[in-house]
Amino acid sequence: MSNNREPRFNQHVLVDTVPLPDHIPKVDEVGASSAPLLSAAFFIGARCRPYNDDYMKCKDESPGRGELDCMREGRKVTRCAISVLEDINTHCLEQFRAHWDCLERRNHLLWKCRKQEWPLNACVFEKIGLEKTIPGAPEGQTPIHLRTNVKYT
Amino acid sequence: MSQDLPPQGGYGPVQYRRNLPPRGFRPSFYIFATFAVCAYGFYRVIDATHEKRELAREKRWARIHLAPVLQAEEDRDMVRRVWAGERREELLMKDVKGWKFGSVYHSDRFVKPSFVPTPSQITPGLAPHYVPDEEEAK
Repeated sequence: MSNNREPRFNQHVLVDTVPLPDHIPKVDEVGASSAPLLSAAFFIGARCRPYNDDYMKCKDESPGRGELDCMREGRKVTRCAISVLEDINTHCLEQFRAHWDCLERRNHLLWKCRKQEWPLNACVFEKIGLEKTIPGAPEGQTPIHLRTNVKYT
Repeated sequence: MSQDLPPQGGYGPVQYRRNLPPRGFRPSFYIFATFAVCAYGFYRVIDATHEKRELAREKRWARIHLAPVLQAEEDRDMVRRVWAGERREELLMKDVKGWKFGSVYHSDRFVKPSFVPTPSQITPGLAPHYVPDEEEAK
């Protein structure tokens, strides 16, 4: 097999390094990998849903030009997500880390990490005030992330 | 001629089946037991299906909450690269007379570039925000 060849590029940096022009306000990148993002997804949703919806609506309303026209909304989305992650990092780092570490090891399956998720949810609700809710879940039932008697464990 | 005839008083009873006590429970018991086992199994299956539906809803909403975050970053990066390309074009073609700048398509729709330019040098006149280390650049 010859598929273990080293890649050969004629140059090293394969990214366009030119920054955005100065009149565009600077925004950091979120900089979180998939497991922390998934772990914090519902808290991002709890705080940033209006911004997210705004951005998606903007993109929906300007088909073909959304990338250029919705940069303002996009910056708000990124800033909001960063703020949530920063809050969790300052207040609930230990629980957060335990949860996303579990997700990383369990194939990103949320139902395999309830044991780590409950302390995180409690801490985030207590210190930051964000609550995990799943929209559209049937009423009158315990939400799936709070059930103790489950078939999938 | 004398014929063979049954003995006086007829033959004795023929034993055509074994004389064993019936084994196990009544047959109807087995029917109902089968139904009961199946019913419990279906109860579990349906219960798990409902649970699976809720788990799927949870996963879907986690992704819905994350989609704009990822999309916004991606879009910003693409706009950055497209604008850099335009600037590069301006710098390259500033001496060519009659060169038409702007979109090459017959509309002002944002067209996602099919090719990603990876300039070997940082475009002169544009400040780099990412300068590779010397070791990395080797």
